[in-house]
Amino acid sequence: MRGCSGGAVADRGDGVADSRGGGSDSRDGGSKPEGGVAGGLRVRRFESVLIALGALVLTAAAGAILLALGGHHPGEAAAAMVRGAFGSRATFLSITLVRSIPLILAGLAVALAFRAGVWNIGAEGQLYAGAAAAAWIGLTGAALPALVLVPAVLLGSLAAGAIWAIVPAFMRVRLGVGEVITTILMNFVGIHLAAWLVHGPLQESRGVFPQTDPIAEAARLPRLVPGSRLHLGFALALVVAAGLAVVLRRSRFGFRLRAVGESPEAALIAGRIDAGRVLVVCFLLSGAIAGLAGGVEISGLTFALYEDLSPGWGYTAIAVALLAGLDPLGVVVAGILFGALQAGAGAMQRDAGVPAAWVGVVEALVILAVLALDRLRRVRRRGGV
Amino acid sequence: MKSPLARLDGIERRFGSVQALDGAGLEIRAGEVHGVLGANGAGKSTLLNVLGGMLQPDSGSIEIGGAPVRLASPRDAWAHGIALVHQHFTLVPRLAALENLALGGGRRPGLRSEVERLTERTGLGVPLDAPVEELGVGDRQRIEILKALLRRPRVLVLDEPTAVLTPDEIEGLFDLLRELASEGVGVVLVAHKLDEVLGVADRVTVLREGRTVLTAPAAEVEPDRLVRAMVGEERADAIALGISDGDAYDAVLPRPAAPRSPRETRTEPRDEVVARLRGVGHAGRLHDVDLELRRGEIVGVAGVEGNGQRELALVLSGRVEPEVGSAELPAGIGYVPQDRSTEGLVAPFDLAENVALALHRAPDFGRGPWLDWNALRERAEAIRGRFEIAAPSTRSRAGELSGGNQQRLVVGREITVARDLLVAENPSRGLDVAAAAFVHDELRRLAAEGVAVALVSTDLDEVLGLSDRVTVLARGRLHEVGPDERSREGVGARMLGGRRG
Repeated sequence: MRGCSGGAVADRGDGVADSRGGGSDSRDGGSKPEGGVAGGLRVRRFESVLIALGALVLTAAAGAILLALGGHHPGEAAAAMVRGAFGSRATFLSITLVRSIPLILAGLAVALAFRAGVWNIGAEGQLYAGAAAAAWIGLTGAALPALVLVPAVLLGSLAAGAIWAIVPAFMRVRLGVGEVITTILMNFVGIHLAAWLVHGPLQESRGVFPQTDPIAEAARLPRLVPGSRLHLGFALALVVAAGLAVVLRRSRFGFRLRAVGESPEAALIAGRIDAGRVLVVCFLLSGAIAGLAGGVEISGLTFALYEDLSPGWGYTAIAVALLAGLDPLGVVVAGILFGALQAGAGAMQRDAGVPAAWVGVVEALVILAVLALDRLRRVRRRGGV
Repeated sequence: MKSPLARLDGIERRFGSVQALDGAGLEIRAGEVHGVLGANGAGKSTLLNVLGGMLQPDSGSIEIGGAPVRLASPRDAWAHGIALVHQHFTLVPRLAALENLALGGGRRPGLRSEVERLTERTGLGVPLDAPVEELGVGDRQRIEILKALLRRPRVLVLDEPTAVLTPDEIEGLFDLLRELASEGVGVVLVAHKLDEVLGVADRVTVLREGRTVLTAPAAEVEPDRLVRAMVGEERADAIALGISDGDAYDAVLPRPAAPRSPRETRTEPRDEVVARLRGVGHAGRLHDVDLELRRGEIVGVAGVEGNGQRELALVLSGRVEPEVGSAELPAGIGYVPQDRSTEGLVAPFDLAENVALALHRAPDFGRGPWLDWNALRERAEAIRGRFEIAAPSTRSRAGELSGGNQQRLVVGREITVARDLLVAENPSRGLDVAAAAFVHDELRRLAAEGVAVALVSTDLDEVLGLSDRVTVLARGRLHEVGPDERSREGVGARMLGGRRG
């Protein structure tokens, strides 16, 4: 499993690196103030939504062909998947939405970084760092009241994720080393650090399984909907998304970030913007949000750190961010969609006999389709002007 | 008289809205060294690229040895015995010098000994086994020349080969070119330095604005006449020396405000120095530059491109700290960079966002960490109206504008922030006559309002027509031009060779 996901990482990393300009054009929709006369904004929004829908149609078609080639019945598989994801209020709240929380948060981390031209492929490692910090604080701070401990856990995971981004940030800004490679490498450090912790210093007191003891009750996030597994983390993800959307559109920093991402040359010459500073802040912020994804998972759902905590959320987040056109609010929608996909995968395996790994293929297809369609649109635009 | 080896006639070539070649011609005879001269953008490189098969002309004829040919690719040109030595290096950095020579189509047994014989004969010695990435520009230039010679060309074209060679090497290269010519090769040489070309060429051709304006035996043509042919006479005659106060432009586009010539604005000189450079050196391309800019004056910086203009503009506009010396600069600086589409604008941003590039720190356009997009959009709308930017609204993307409208946007934006100083680098390059005149009027108006303007331009007419004071940047050093030298010939000679006219 580990080796397999490693291969996938490299592939996705390359795809993203090649797309440098690739993801960049579809993002403008989110950047304009609301209101006004011209249709430009709506046209651009419309375009990126169109790309997302087109990518989904292409992916569904390609996915169906693959299923048929594998001897499965695409219709049955789809029906099973929809049942598993949206079949009842309980499955939607407790499985789909719960699954979407780390995807939304990590997707926001990736989208923010990509908007600035920072190709952070390291959300996975940053997520593990945040999860490890959350578990450690949740275990050691057991004596503290929830009002102190929960914020401490979340802040700890933010800080740990940011720390995980420091090395790639430094190497990019000071040494000029491309962050695609460094962030991927930091993933392995993060994943194995978490593994070492649960085999060693933080292993449960029984010493049987590679996992930590459950964190203190006071370190756990409250449920958002009583009777379901949906926890406060979902609301937190929505707040982060809204916050990022406002910052990107309205704030001076958000403007600088977008300028550096679109054109470092113009940002420096016309905008007198210190790209290095913007990039460092962006790296740290992106890492922090990815770290929060791990912290929220521990504090809201699993209550313990264990090996293989993440089934590759940090990588799926890249598909989420690209499908969303790097728009924070779009990330929420795309995150829920991928949450549904993962939730439905289990049902599909159970009811239609399709291996759940098929979902990984779908994620890769989405990335390919988004990149291809975006490139196509840009070529057409250039030809048309 | 020998028949020409190659003849280009009536060549036209357009890039987008720019007519790079507009009826250019060139005739190369066996056994001659033919110098090609012209100001920047005159079309020299474009014409040579047509000859080398790198570019297809829109119209015009190419004859090789008297027969019309079509050169669809560099391979076609080689097949006709034409070898081009590029201005930009076309070597593979990771490969050794010898491997690069083999790549040039010279791959054959005994290549090494052949190259060794050639280097011995020509004096163009290079370390054959060193990777090109470890070699300096001089060695790289020599490899390019060797690559061309290995093809045993009948026509050898060299596009500015001397810029990176030492004087001794240049002398050696010229000896070689003469020797090749005596063996019957037609040699075409492009160089900026007039005296160099005159020293080696048998005949010269001058290009201006895409047209061939002069072809003559080198011995029969005065340097003075060449300079005049290169920089142009018609329009410039009235404007140079400030005799007519630049009123020639009024015929093209009426000025919006009351016309004010630079002379008039200087009747009451405002002596306050707003920017001062002392002993500035930067990036090895700017040396010991002293410059003072006063309110209300336009200071022209003339020079051949690549003599430190970009570095001077970056330092003067506060974009970079000088490595050596000091720069005292005011707060309100506008900068019109030469490369407006990549450095002046963010193409996917709309007009308002591009205006925000210059105003995102201004207190009037936001509160605390937030930007006031309504105010920014209003400002963008004002610039769009005043500078007549042809865009449907301020929500249009800058990348969708034409080059001229992009320039209007950049100039309009920078003028609004240039409260103390405006640095403009080739502000009218690529603009049509009316748009150029409009930009010039804006510069004059700005100066009349008390702003110091630094006009860094390779267009001599522009510098002479607009400036109150003229300086020349040559090889990274700034020379003040006295009133007695203030003519196209005087400044042109300083630009070309740094010598007195």
